[in-house]
Amino acid sequence: MPPGLDALKHIVVLMMENRSFDHMLGSLKAVNPLIDGVDGTQWNPDTQGNQVFVQPLAEFQSQLDPDPDHAFPAVDQQIFNGDQSNPRVASMKGFVQNYYLQQQDLAHSQKIMYYFTDDKLPVLTALANNFLVFNRWFASIPGPTLCNRAFAHYGTSFGQVGMNVFYPQGKSIYERLQDAGHTAKLYYFDQQSSSLEVVNLLQHQPQLFGTYDQFIADCKSGTLSDYSFIEPNYSDHDNDDGSQLASDQHPDHNVQAGELFIASVYNAIQSNPNLWASTALLVVYDEHGGIFDHVPPPACTPDGHSAGPADTGLNYTFNFDRLGVRVPAILISPWVPKGAVVGTDRVFEHASIPATVTNHFIGPYPAATPREQAAQTFLDLLSLPAMRTDSVVFST
Amino acid sequence: MNDAAPRTSKATKRKRGAIDKSAPLPPGDYTSIRVPIPPTSAFNKNRPVGCLIQAQLQHMYHAESARLPKEERDGRRPEDIHTEAEAASYIAAITKLLHPQRRKRSRPRPTS
Repeated sequence: MPPGLDALKHIVVLMMENRSFDHMLGSLKAVNPLIDGVDGTQWNPDTQGNQVFVQPLAEFQSQLDPDPDHAFPAVDQQIFNGDQSNPRVASMKGFVQNYYLQQQDLAHSQKIMYYFTDDKLPVLTALANNFLVFNRWFASIPGPTLCNRAFAHYGTSFGQVGMNVFYPQGKSIYERLQDAGHTAKLYYFDQQSSSLEVVNLLQHQPQLFGTYDQFIADCKSGTLSDYSFIEPNYSDHDNDDGSQLASDQHPDHNVQAGELFIASVYNAIQSNPNLWASTALLVVYDEHGGIFDHVPPPACTPDGHSAGPADTGLNYTFNFDRLGVRVPAILISPWVPKGAVVGTDRVFEHASIPATVTNHFIGPYPAATPREQAAQTFLDLLSLPAMRTDSVVFST
Repeated sequence: MNDAAPRTSKATKRKRGAIDKSAPLPPGDYTSIRVPIPPTSAFNKNRPVGCLIQAQLQHMYHAESARLPKEERDGRRPEDIHTEAEAASYIAAITKLLHPQRRKRSRPRPTS
C-alpha cells in the first residue's frame, strides 16, 4: 500500500454550487497545458448564428443574473443544441442560445461563455497549482443540484432528475460507515443555511449532523470523523455572528465569498499537522449551473432507474446512461504530487465519492448501485512515496 | 494517536467562515496566498430566493408537515417567503424544531 494511503484516516469532501470546469479552472490551461481548459478558440452560436467565443471576463457577482437555467431540459439543450435525433452528438454548442431564452438579450446571453482568469481566483488557482486537478470529473446527471448531490451521498438519485423530495431506498455513505463502526459527519454552515439533505436531517439528527463551527473545532481538537461532508452557506443572512455572505458560489452569490470559505476549510485541516498528514480533501462542484464547458459528457453505466417524459420535461425517457456537464474538482493532500493533473482517460463523477470512501474504510460493498460499482475511485492518486513538506497557506 | 492541533495561548473570536489567523503553522515550506475579502455591498439579504433555496424551502416544509404535530409547526408556507433573509429565518426555525435535542419533548419516553 502506498504510504499516503497507509496514513489516510480522514476523507473530507467540500461540495460547492453550480460552476463549470472551464468557468473556474479553464484559464489554467495557459499555465499548465495538461489542464484541459480553454484557449479562446471555443465558441457557441448565438441566436443569430454568430460565433460567441469564450472570454476571460467573468465577474464575482451580478453577471449571471438571472440564474442560468440548469433544469434537465435546459441542460439537454446546452449539451445537444436542440438536437433530439437518435443517436445524437453532444456538441456543447447550446449554452448561449439557452441563456438567451431567459431575457431575449443577445449581449447578455454571451456572458454564459465568460471564464475567470487565474488571478481572480487565488484560492482555487493555488490549490490547483499545488495539488491535483481532475480533467474529467462530471456531474452525475445533466440536471440540477439535488439529484446530483444525491449521487455523492447514495451513489444514485433513485430515479430523480430534478429537485423534488425523495426518500432513499438504500443506505447513504454515512449510514454505511456508522454500521461498520466508523464515524461520519455532515456539516452544514449554520441553522439559517441548514442542509440540503433534509430527509437525512429528519432521520439522523443529531448524531450525523454538525455545523461549520463544529467542523473547525473538530479539526483543532483532532476529533474529525473518518468521513466528513461540508455544505457551504446557501444564503445571505444575519446570525449571531453578524452578516453572513452566501459562500456556495451559486449564481448570483459572490464568488469571492466562496473562495474565502474554501480557504477556511483548507486552513482548518492544514494547520493541524497530524490531521494534515492523514487527510485527503476533495473540493468539487455539484453541477455546472448552466455555464459553458467545452467537454462533452460521456456515456456511463446506467444505474437501473429511468425517468420518463413527465420527469425529464422532454419527449424521451432518460436511463441515467449519460453524465452531466464537467465540474471543477481538486484533490488536496500532502501525498499528491504538486501540480498533478489526472488525464482525460480517467472519468470521475459524484458516485466516485461514496465508492472511494466505502472502498477505503469498509471494503467491498455488494449493495452499492451499479453506477457506484462502476465509478472510478481516487485514493490511488495519493501516490507520493514520502509526504511533502511544502504547502500553501491562505490569509486575508 | 492524538490528532489535536498545538494549542495557542489565546483564543480569539473569529467570524464564522472566516480564515483562522490564530492557527499556528506546522514546520515546512509555505507559500502564503492573500485572499481578498468581498465588498460589504455584496451582502443582500433581500435578494429574491433562487431555485435552490425554493427547493430547500419545499423540502423543509415537507419535513415539518411530515414530522411535527400541528401545534409545533412554524406556520409559515414556502410561497409566502420571498427573500433570502426570510428563507433563512424559516429554515433556521425548522432545523431547530427538527433537532431532537432542541425540541420540547412532546410525548413521554418509552419505559422499556
